Amino acid sequence: MSALQNLAVLCGAALLAGCASVSPDGLRGDVAALTAGRTSVVPQAALPATDPAARAQAQQSIESWLAQPLTQDAAVRIALLNNPGLQARLAALGVSDAERVQAITLPNPHLSLGRFTNSHEREIERTLAFSLLDLLTMPWRAARENERLQIATLQAAQDVVQLAADTRRAWLRAVAAEQLAAAHERMADAADAGTELARRMVRVGNWSRLQLAREQAVLQEARSQLARARLAANTEREQLNRRLGVWGLHAQYRLATPLPPLPASPLPADGIEATALRERLDVQAARRQLDTQATRQGWSRAGAVFDDIGLAYSRNTSTDRDGGHRDTTRGWELELPLPLFDWGGAARTRAQAEVEQAAAQLQDTAVRARSEVRSAWLTYRTALDLARQQKSEVVPLRQFIADETTLRYNGMLASVWDMLAEARNSTQAVANAIEAQRDFWLAETDLQLALTGTSPGALQGLPPGAATTTKSQGH
Amino acid sequence: MNRRNFFSGAATAVAAASVSRVALAALPEPATQASADTAPPLHPPTGRPYNPVVTLNGWTAPWRMNAGVKEFHLVAEPVVREVAPGFMVNMWGYNGQSPGPTIEVVEGDRVRIFVTNRLPEHTTIHWHGQRLPNGMDGVGGLNQPAIPAGKTFVYEFEARRPGTFMYHPHADEMVQMAMGMMGLWITHPKGQHPQIAKVQRDYAFLLNAFDVEPGSMTPKVNTMLDHNIWCWNSRVFPAISPLVARQGDRVRIRVGNLTMTNHPIHIHGHEFEVTGTDGGPVPKSARWPEVTTDVAVGQMRQIDFIADELGDWALHCHKSHHTMGAMGHDVPTMIGVDHRGLVGKIQKIVPDYMVMGERGMADMGAMEMPLPDNTFPMMTGTGQFGPVEMGGMFTSFKVRADQPAGDYRDPGDFKHPAGTVAYEWQGTPAATPRPARTDAPGTAPGAANARKPPTSGHQH
Ligand SMILES: [Cu+2]
Repeated sequence: MSALQNLAVLCGAALLAGCASVSPDGLRGDVAALTAGRTSVVPQAALPATDPAARAQAQQSIESWLAQPLTQDAAVRIALLNNPGLQARLAALGVSDAERVQAITLPNPHLSLGRFTNSHEREIERTLAFSLLDLLTMPWRAARENERLQIATLQAAQDVVQLAADTRRAWLRAVAAEQLAAAHERMADAADAGTELARRMVRVGNWSRLQLAREQAVLQEARSQLARARLAANTEREQLNRRLGVWGLHAQYRLATPLPPLPASPLPADGIEATALRERLDVQAARRQLDTQATRQGWSRAGAVFDDIGLAYSRNTSTDRDGGHRDTTRGWELELPLPLFDWGGAARTRAQAEVEQAAAQLQDTAVRARSEVRSAWLTYRTALDLARQQKSEVVPLRQFIADETTLRYNGMLASVWDMLAEARNSTQAVANAIEAQRDFWLAETDLQLALTGTSPGALQGLPPGAATTTKSQGH
Repeated sequence: MNRRNFFSGAATAVAAASVSRVALAALPEPATQASADTAPPLHPPTGRPYNPVVTLNGWTAPWRMNAGVKEFHLVAEPVVREVAPGFMVNMWGYNGQSPGPTIEVVEGDRVRIFVTNRLPEHTTIHWHGQRLPNGMDGVGGLNQPAIPAGKTFVYEFEARRPGTFMYHPHADEMVQMAMGMMGLWITHPKGQHPQIAKVQRDYAFLLNAFDVEPGSMTPKVNTMLDHNIWCWNSRVFPAISPLVARQGDRVRIRVGNLTMTNHPIHIHGHEFEVTGTDGGPVPKSARWPEVTTDVAVGQMRQIDFIADELGDWALHCHKSHHTMGAMGHDVPTMIGVDHRGLVGKIQKIVPDYMVMGERGMADMGAMEMPLPDNTFPMMTGTGQFGPVEMGGMFTSFKVRADQPAGDYRDPGDFKHPAGTVAYEWQGTPAATPRPARTDAPGTAPGAANARKPPTSGHQH
């Protein structure tokens, strides 16, 4: 039985070399470590746990965050804990882990038993066969499966980072849309007051129906803009709800307003490309991919030539049925494919091509990362300048114009309709400033993602400006 | 050599010079005026005697006698005129002010006027109403080359006939007059004139108008008629000096019009006769009594009357918009418009909003509301009984029993003798006044029935 013992020793060595067990937390710890500092505003966000006690506690936290006016920080935390899509994604990572463990567990040896009789003999064959190649390539395969899992982990981490960024974007859009709806309400109020006064002007004979109609047209325009603004506020909020994974009573949270103030000084542009190449998860994943392919190349050399190497131990017993004489034969059997036709050239070429592919993909990812981070920084910087200009130049200018128009109204130099029109214009400037501030924070989100996370996807750039001013006929 | 040295050097040269023709080249020092107040009359220190005028919120140019010739020096230059306290306007004028100093001479005087141009463009001076050699009439191109910027020209002629005249540019005059370039010229009669009475008070002013955008300082020179600052001598009520007289004084008021529209000048409490125009004295047989005389564009009117009624009498242009300060000419009429329920709504949007004009515009006279910088209010000025609700071509004519001769100071509010001021009736209260709302047309008793055009074809 020493041969069996030998086999057991061999197997044990192989297990030590590469076999692993399934990660108990479904690799969530690894994902959490990879996403630290990359989830937008939240330095370190908790991910959905597998353990029921932790899940219950997370649910409590979600409840308490939703009870307060919802900050972008809390929104990101809730989404990471509560988004069903992300939960599915993390579960899939657990599946990959199980598959890895399965893949690098040694196949069970084959035992074949045969009993053959003829007129004078009875023969019993016992063969224990074992695929030697699996054992020989175990270290390579284990390494490869580990690499694959690490790539899968990196990809899951990117999904986490993307979700955090998407949630933050959705929060920014929802908050801005709510503020914009409020601004449009003020504009509609101003138009409403103007129209009501115009109606009374007509009633006492000071104005014609034509003059009233012009004010009514202003009001209708303001009302339709208000309706659109309200719809937008609702739509943006639903987008946020989807990220948060909430419905029903949970969806009745209040949003914390206003948008965060603009930063005093912008992030410097120095070293952003180096940061992106060092920090970005997609770049890391591409690098891993290249490593994996390179490793696999070594394994494919052996595996391609010797498609399978079979090792079998057999013990055959033949018994003389008449005399009872028993004859036992023992022996090893090695089964080798003859590389007559397939010398492994195609497999080697494939492995080579795969390495080249992985290398090119890494380069592509790196080039894209550099470009994206430059582009994101420029958008960020321009968005900051535009938001500052709108806030510290345009809004005060519009306010000044409105104030001066009020002074002219005081002197009977301008009409109440001129004053209301300027009130609408200054409110429009405030609305434009809110949009510019939102666009800055969206650009900041993209920049953070491009710097440390992953590709922000189709970089949005800045939406075209929509500054409009209205005039009143009321003078 | 800077200008200052040039002029002091010139003055020294004049002092040293004899009466030779070379002295013509020596410029007299130009006098300048920093104040927009009414200067006291300038009694002639040299030359033929005369009874001086008082230029309302203006002054008379001093002169020097040079070999029997009266020499004046006018400097055309940009000035900042105080049109009302706190309301400054960039103008072009003469010798520090707009209008320029009044030139007073006597019939038969030989007059030499040095005109220095410190404007950014060329100019000339036309001596409106004078008989003079054609080459002295001051129409650029026609009578003389225009005076280039920085140059001095000399005009010289004899003041041939007595009367009330003006001077103003006749080069780019649309701009230059819109910027305030003008002045009065009075030629007093030599000795006793049969058509010109001796008066105790002789006032003179020009009518002028500017278009100054509220909050700005420079008149819009391209405005044709829609001016918003209506002035007498570039001043507006309540900043125009009152005209004062001692009861029984014979008073003369000389008015010239350099705006682009006519002004019916109206006095209360007295009737007057137009005793002269820029054509000269009106024959006595052609005069008739008036309380208003229309001064057409480019005309001068001289009115005489006896100030026999005590009191503070209004003296104003009868075009009511001309007694208003800056106002929005396109602001809609708000009279009778019910603002109930809307004020709070508007104040939510415009916190400083206050209702105005619902009952008329008198609110403006009473309310002190913040206005844009450098903006002259629409109506302001208060009398002893409250807001006067005027601004522009308005002032008062104050007759007092004890106003000393030669004293032009404001004697203050008139003390009305008891029982001579309109008073509130103390009987049964009248019914509550009806709100200022319009009734439906055709409902007044006895109103004619207007037939409306048929409305068929219109779907309402
Ligand atoms: Cu007038």
